[in-house]
Amino acid sequence: MYEKRLDNRAFDALRPMEAETGVVPNAKGSARFRIGNTEAVAAVYGPEEVKPKHFEKFDKGIILCKYDMLPFSVPDRAKPGFDRRDTEISQVITNALNRAVFLEEFPRSMITVRVYVTQADAGTRCASLTAASMACADAGLPMRDLIAAVAAGSIGGKTCLDLTKEEEDLHEEGATDVPMGFLPSKDEIVLLQLDGKVTREQLKEVLAVGKKGAMEIYELEKEALKRRVSNESKS
Amino acid sequence: MINVKNFDIVTPGTLLSDENNGRNGTYNEGNNIYSKYFGMVQVNERGVSVGPVTSKYFPEEGDEVIGRIVEAGSKYWVVDIDAPYLVRLDNRDVNFRTEMGELDKYMKAGELILARVTMVYVNNAADISMKGTRYAKLPPNMIVKVDPSKLPRLIGKEGATINLIKQETNCDIVVGQNGVVWIEGKGGNVTAAVDAVKFIEENYYNPNLTDAVREMLQNVREKT
Repeated sequence: MYEKRLDNRAFDALRPMEAETGVVPNAKGSARFRIGNTEAVAAVYGPEEVKPKHFEKFDKGIILCKYDMLPFSVPDRAKPGFDRRDTEISQVITNALNRAVFLEEFPRSMITVRVYVTQADAGTRCASLTAASMACADAGLPMRDLIAAVAAGSIGGKTCLDLTKEEEDLHEEGATDVPMGFLPSKDEIVLLQLDGKVTREQLKEVLAVGKKGAMEIYELEKEALKRRVSNESKS
Repeated sequence: MINVKNFDIVTPGTLLSDENNGRNGTYNEGNNIYSKYFGMVQVNERGVSVGPVTSKYFPEEGDEVIGRIVEAGSKYWVVDIDAPYLVRLDNRDVNFRTEMGELDKYMKAGELILARVTMVYVNNAADISMKGTRYAKLPPNMIVKVDPSKLPRLIGKEGATINLIKQETNCDIVVGQNGVVWIEGKGGNVTAAVDAVKFIEENYYNPNLTDAVREMLQNVREKT
């Protein structure tokens, strides 16, 4: 039984978070999101001409997302470039953003989203998705809602929010990891994956805990975006 | 009931109102009006609208734009108007006679033009035209790019702000609706005008922008 968390957090507590927008001056919009030791930087370019040309859709725009873990982000050096995991996460982030952005407003154009993980300590796809959605809003794209993504899971029957890498690796206790992304004000799920085993009842519990965490992240995102305009007004 | 007030900053998905009074920058879902953009709210008797903090120019019919010639073909010029796609200017749509063939003896790549968007197709392609006395080749001068979402603030009510800059700096200013601003004048005056445009872009949320610009330009004048 998992009685106490390895970093002494409450079972439904998030790690300390930080969010900031406008970190990449050359991009149309950008954001940085940190949760515990996981940090992601996202930059959004466009809408612009679609390249390669055969991706073009005549009635709507497309989102091209590239997720990359930088070599120094993990204790063992990550090989630079895209591996299978990067490709998968790029795809799930694209799918989630497709639900949030009104793509039909940009026929025949492309929005490029690049996400870099500068530090990884579990939950990178959630941090990346959160950063990417903030960057999209910062780039002035029409969106249904911001996305707040968080991982939750169960360890030894106990439901935990926002697992660290150490907790994820507690395989003997039966650690399960469920990354999920929400459109918080719409009560919609845009990302849901599962790593491990979980019962139906437990999954419901995990989702409820994750939703609560996502609302907290959502408030932080809104505050970070608003802070950008008020910072401008000070200078 | 409207949940927000003028000059509020909202993020996408914010509930604005539960009446059917959403205008630009909002969307409707289940009888509620939500914000579509990260931007500033405007409320008036006609409804709620949200202006995005930044945006990209998409051509619309009737827009007056400043473009840069990219390429001269044998029947048309290719023009960059800061939209996602390059547009085409047919050699029949200019206000001077042209002969087919080498069109770069009339307008070369890199030259600036003032033109009007005549046609926008569903797929975002557009045609521009220079027919009419208003439209012409612009002499090479200072160009400033302004975010299209901030253009209304630059122009002001019935052109109040832009006319103020013109008067105070003695500059000739042409504002393209694609966010390209062309400024002609004497050395120091041009710098002052550019500063004023940049000032507006940074202080777009200021409710008394015209007065702030006047003050700023007077400060500049006192210094020189």
